[in-house]
Amino acid sequence: MKRRRRAGSRVLTALVFLFLYAPILLLIVFSFNKGNSNIVWTGFSLDWYKSLFQNRLIMRSVYTTLLVSLLATAIATVAGTFAAIGFYSLRRRSRAALSTVNSIPMMNADIVTGVAMCLFFVAFFSFWSGFAGWFNGVQSVVVLPERLTLGFGTLLIAHVTFNIPYVILSVGPKLRQMDRNLVDAAQDLGCTWMQAFWKVILPEIKPGIASGALTAFTMSVDDFIISYFTAGSSSSTLAMTIYGMTKKRVTPEINAVSTLLFVTVLALLVIVNLREARAERGGEERRPVSRKLTRLLDTPRGRMLRRGAAVALAASFLAAVVLLTGATNAQPVVNVCSWGEYIDEDLITRFEEETGIIVNYQTAESNEALYSLLKSGAGDYDVVVPSDYMISQLIEEDMLAELDYSQIPNYALISDRFKGLTYDPQERYTVPYAWGTVGIIYNETMVEEPITSWSALFDDQYAGNVLMFRNSRDAMATALSYLGYSLNTTVEAELREAFQLLKDAKNRGVYQSFVMDEIFQKLEGGNAAIGAYYAGDYLTMLDNNEDLRFVIPEEGSNWFMDAMCVLKNAAHYDEAMAWINFIASTEANLANMDYLWYASPNQEALEQYPAYYEELYGEELGQEVYDIIAAPQEVLDRCEAYLVLPMETRKLYNDLWTELGI
Amino acid sequence: MSKELIRLRDLCMAYDDELVLDHLNLYINDKEFLTLLGPSGCGKSTTLRIIGGFTAPLSGDVLFDGVRINDVPPYKRQINTVFQKYALFPHLNVFENVAFGLRMQRRPDPADPKRKTKLPEEEIRERVLEMLEAVSLKGFENRRTDALSGGQQQRVAIARALVNRPKVLLLDEPLGALDLKLRKDMQIELKRIQQQVGITFIYVTHDQEEALTMSDTIVVMDKGSIQQIGTPEDIYNEPKNAFVADFIGESNIIDGVMVRDKLVQMYGRQFPCLDGGFAENEPVDVVIRPEDIDIVPVEQGQLTGTVTNVTFKGMQYDIIVDFRGFKWLIQTTDHSPVGARIGIKIDPDGIHVMKKSRYSGLYGDYSSFSDEYDELDAAEPEEGGNET
Repeated sequence: MKRRRRAGSRVLTALVFLFLYAPILLLIVFSFNKGNSNIVWTGFSLDWYKSLFQNRLIMRSVYTTLLVSLLATAIATVAGTFAAIGFYSLRRRSRAALSTVNSIPMMNADIVTGVAMCLFFVAFFSFWSGFAGWFNGVQSVVVLPERLTLGFGTLLIAHVTFNIPYVILSVGPKLRQMDRNLVDAAQDLGCTWMQAFWKVILPEIKPGIASGALTAFTMSVDDFIISYFTAGSSSSTLAMTIYGMTKKRVTPEINAVSTLLFVTVLALLVIVNLREARAERGGEERRPVSRKLTRLLDTPRGRMLRRGAAVALAASFLAAVVLLTGATNAQPVVNVCSWGEYIDEDLITRFEEETGIIVNYQTAESNEALYSLLKSGAGDYDVVVPSDYMISQLIEEDMLAELDYSQIPNYALISDRFKGLTYDPQERYTVPYAWGTVGIIYNETMVEEPITSWSALFDDQYAGNVLMFRNSRDAMATALSYLGYSLNTTVEAELREAFQLLKDAKNRGVYQSFVMDEIFQKLEGGNAAIGAYYAGDYLTMLDNNEDLRFVIPEEGSNWFMDAMCVLKNAAHYDEAMAWINFIASTEANLANMDYLWYASPNQEALEQYPAYYEELYGEELGQEVYDIIAAPQEVLDRCEAYLVLPMETRKLYNDLWTELGI
Repeated sequence: MSKELIRLRDLCMAYDDELVLDHLNLYINDKEFLTLLGPSGCGKSTTLRIIGGFTAPLSGDVLFDGVRINDVPPYKRQINTVFQKYALFPHLNVFENVAFGLRMQRRPDPADPKRKTKLPEEEIRERVLEMLEAVSLKGFENRRTDALSGGQQQRVAIARALVNRPKVLLLDEPLGALDLKLRKDMQIELKRIQQQVGITFIYVTHDQEEALTMSDTIVVMDKGSIQQIGTPEDIYNEPKNAFVADFIGESNIIDGVMVRDKLVQMYGRQFPCLDGGFAENEPVDVVIRPEDIDIVPVEQGQLTGTVTNVTFKGMQYDIIVDFRGFKWLIQTTDHSPVGARIGIKIDPDGIHVMKKSRYSGLYGDYSSFSDEYDELDAAEPEEGGNET
């Protein structure tokens, strides 16, 4: 009986750990997968690690992450240590109160901290620009910069801020364990307070400082949310980059980088715990090696060596800071915000090599997310790539700068079909980036007959196997198309009818779920039969599941254009022109078209793509595939682009969407 | 004795509005072994910390060799301290602990008197080893301090302070953490070291026996004020008030009336004594040490009482005797059984008459004697123990 119970509890323990670690284990295993699937194992390879190290976006964010973590750790460790000493010398009651205040930031939700800091920085910047303007006006000796932006500096400040409490928390107990008389004793024997600090307090609390620093470093490397709100447009940490990359789908490259991140944090934690364990055992039994090293370092020569090493370390640290700030100051930059996996990253490298302009490339989740980023002032970008209807809205709100087309000769290469579209009829603000269509993707083994109509999305026949858009505009568009209404209708009755269609279908259980990029996994894995999504993404899915088919329904559909725009007051206007011109080139459009499988607006690229494809892959590009990427004009004629909706209609969308309750 | 070295003038100190030192005045002679004695909270440690420079007084002056040193930081005073629980540096070995002060010292460079130079390593080594030998710790140089016994740590702390050749050594309850036997040994050792190095020791303790054993001068303190200053003999034999009498040794403190010089009345009876200088019929406190009382047959006794308790103490019996409801402690080599009626006789020099003070009537009789012992036993390890 007893034995069985013990076995039972062992199984339970094993299950708990399995539950905890299986996902990470899976991720690690698939980071070594040869193929690009996260489900099917096709053999061992280190390719993903190799491509990881060649990915400059990732490598740059690794660099940013390490730099910000190291700097923040160093600053927070010094500040936190002295703060802890300050706490320690207080009366018990004030110390207790302050300790509570200290632990609040750790308990506080990261999202609150992040948003609060973002708001604070933006508010400060606006106050500052007023002050600097006045200051520069009344005197001309010192010129203050009037325009401050979120960036590495604010990221660093934020990291320092959230790291300090951890340092205080781990140094405090060491101080309290220390004999209070030690400082007096040192002063009694001839030390000033500062000397006593270096010679007596510091050696005593060193373990606390070290574990505080390690914790802070781990927290910094690990942080996503606070960084996301404070990094601005020019800096991107590893966690932010990974998040950007997962927006489309989880590639094995992400597995690789996540594995490395996991291993790093694990290693740091192991070090922290080992240190603590050793401290508990009493530092007496040091390992022979370290004892030998200590003895070596205790000789006069060793002391010199040690001092030299410390100086070198400090110097290189300083150099890194100077280099970094110098580099960002001296080199021209352009801040770009686009969508996840929406560019062939080689293009960034090529552009940087050709022009010497550094590209800070960030991604937003959706047009709406981009819009709120711009509105809040947190997104301080030069170039953005919104979709058609969002462009109209930005123009309407006077948020875009007119382009200097004389600096964009490649604009001439854009097909006339895509110039002067409704969102920018006078061709003043935009250069098209890529376009595509929305259609139905279905698994032909899971349906009775080929899908041709939007009705499939509202049909009980496929109940539980249908995936619907998780954003109001696209979801409503499927229903409006089916009903034969305009996608841009403002007639409330039509909108309500379309909504009722969606709601009834939802209530009847037609939809398995409402999704965005989760659709990749679901359709590729055969977990759902039908879903509406973008044509380019269908081709990506097809690579992993040959049973998938794409159709633009007979009722017509949505076609969209994403175009490059420059924000008003962009800090790097000329660099932005250079970037836009580069991306508009035929060469860049070919590379992007191949990478994205979204259609290029560049006439030459559209024409040359089949040949380009053949040369690259040694096989012919099927006409039907090409037609899916770049829908022929007669298909486009059946489709409608989104326009910006009037305010009351937008509000109706919102209300209906809320009523749908997903 | 010899010349004055330290003078404390009108020192006041308060923590949280609570007066810890109340206009304290004291001078300390060179090469003197002076003990500040009193219960915890009496202000003795605060006085020591003010002398060491770790605490600044609210008002009053500290003079060293006639110079005011209130604003001189501790590291510039020619004073070193042995701390409670020693405060050895845990990250340094024995040698480095002792060498710590010497390594901090700077003195004018013989080659260029304007520049200051460190002590040469050989000198440091020589002085540390010499000092370790003086405290019988030769051969312990490379030990970690936490691998030493309490007594050894104690000696490292003393060596660490003395190696700097201070003019004054402050000792803050240095023997508190040691067990009884070791404490007795260290008392003798400390006195020997003091005589050997020939400097002033200012010693803080709450242990009256320690104070009596080692001191040249004892300063009894309570509630931030000095109650009595004197040699150990003075303090023991001629306590100035009920507090001192009670704190130093065991005392029976009885209400009395001074009939005239050299005659005091207790229990309605008159006892010859040696004291004088009181007003006629002035109420007084009469102190009678337990060992100054002789037990005699009832009919020969100045007073008669009943034995209520007997405790064997090895060298003597502690017996509690009830005299009309007020219980006395008597120490005697003769055994008297509980319940026996006995008479007592007190020689005139065994009777100490004190003026009434604010301490009069505070200490009561020995009716709770055994309880008191229990309390003392219980309190001892806490007061001196190595609590964290």
